[in-house]
Amino acid sequence: MRRSLILGGLSVLGFPGMALAAEGAPAGGGWIGPFAVIAAGIGMAIAAGLCGLGQGRAVAAAVDAMARQPAAAERIQTAMIIGLALIESLAIYTLVIALILLFVKGIQFS
Amino acid sequence: MEAIEHPPIFRLPGIPDHVTYTWLVMIILAALAFVASRNVQLVPRGAQNILEVVLEQFIQLIDDVMGHEGRRYLPLIATLGLFILVGNLMSLVPGLSGPTTNLNTTAACALVTFFAYHYIGVRKQGAVSYLNHFTGPMPWSLGMIPIKLLMIPIEVISQLGRPLSLTLRLFGNMIGGHILLAVIFLLMGLDGLIGWALSGSVAGAVVGGIGGAITIVFTVGFLYPLKILVSFLQAFIFVMLTMLYISGAMEEAEHHAEHH
Repeated sequence: MRRSLILGGLSVLGFPGMALAAEGAPAGGGWIGPFAVIAAGIGMAIAAGLCGLGQGRAVAAAVDAMARQPAAAERIQTAMIIGLALIESLAIYTLVIALILLFVKGIQFS
Repeated sequence: MEAIEHPPIFRLPGIPDHVTYTWLVMIILAALAFVASRNVQLVPRGAQNILEVVLEQFIQLIDDVMGHEGRRYLPLIATLGLFILVGNLMSLVPGLSGPTTNLNTTAACALVTFFAYHYIGVRKQGAVSYLNHFTGPMPWSLGMIPIKLLMIPIEVISQLGRPLSLTLRLFGNMIGGHILLAVIFLLMGLDGLIGWALSGSVAGAVVGGIGGAITIVFTVGFLYPLKILVSFLQAFIFVMLTMLYISGAMEEAEHHAEHH
């Protein structure tokens, strides 16, 4: 079961490259392009999911603190927003890399 | 990106779009400042009133974060904040291009912050004691020298990471929302669902009409408010981090002075 799943996944991953190699792929990035699209999608999915987990923990703790001490809500909110920005920037790095993979000439054809 | 996104309406030949629209932001801000300060009155009206409210918000933020010392840096901080805010909001107007959706503009803003806070740090506490801070908080002694030498590359890398993260955070947020809007407009527009609804076929009128209505409601009711919120939030975060870096470079001076 597991082996067939792995084989299926590998064949799905390998298919764009093989189809392109069969075509001959004259100019542009060659076989890198299709893999770059897959890498961008998977990487962005992992980054977004883990970033959501991290931000969820941060927001949960901040809301808990704000509910316990409403007087300090403003300062906690400022600290929370800064923290969220710092966490989010890690996902943004992945987004930038995904955009490079998708749009930079030499990796993609266009 | 040209495939999904229409280029902005107004383009100057030979000049990149983000430079043109940076000039537009400069013109807007300069005109606003000129109109507001042309006839300054004790009881503010009109544009003067608006700008006074905005700048009082900035002053309050600076007082909260940096203390009273920070008011000297109001011009730097408020200029960065207003430029980024107007640039962010401009990218939401269809037919215009936002300057902050280009990596060069955000890198320029981040480099201004980077050099400004180092300059302020050196100015406040002198070059030697500012550089001393790059060797970590441990006191100087013979046994500490290897650890202090080890701290130098770590500190340098973490300092270099600051402008990188400022640049990429603003750029990534803006370009991400921009591409999202472009894709939604592509799906919605005359090449997409609305075009299908207007094409005359029955299936197009039903499916395309309903789908087009849903995407319009989604865009106007959710995406645009979200993008406006993100525009304000990113400008706020940029300004906030700038203030934290500047006050970090200044506070080290006081901390250092206490030891002597």
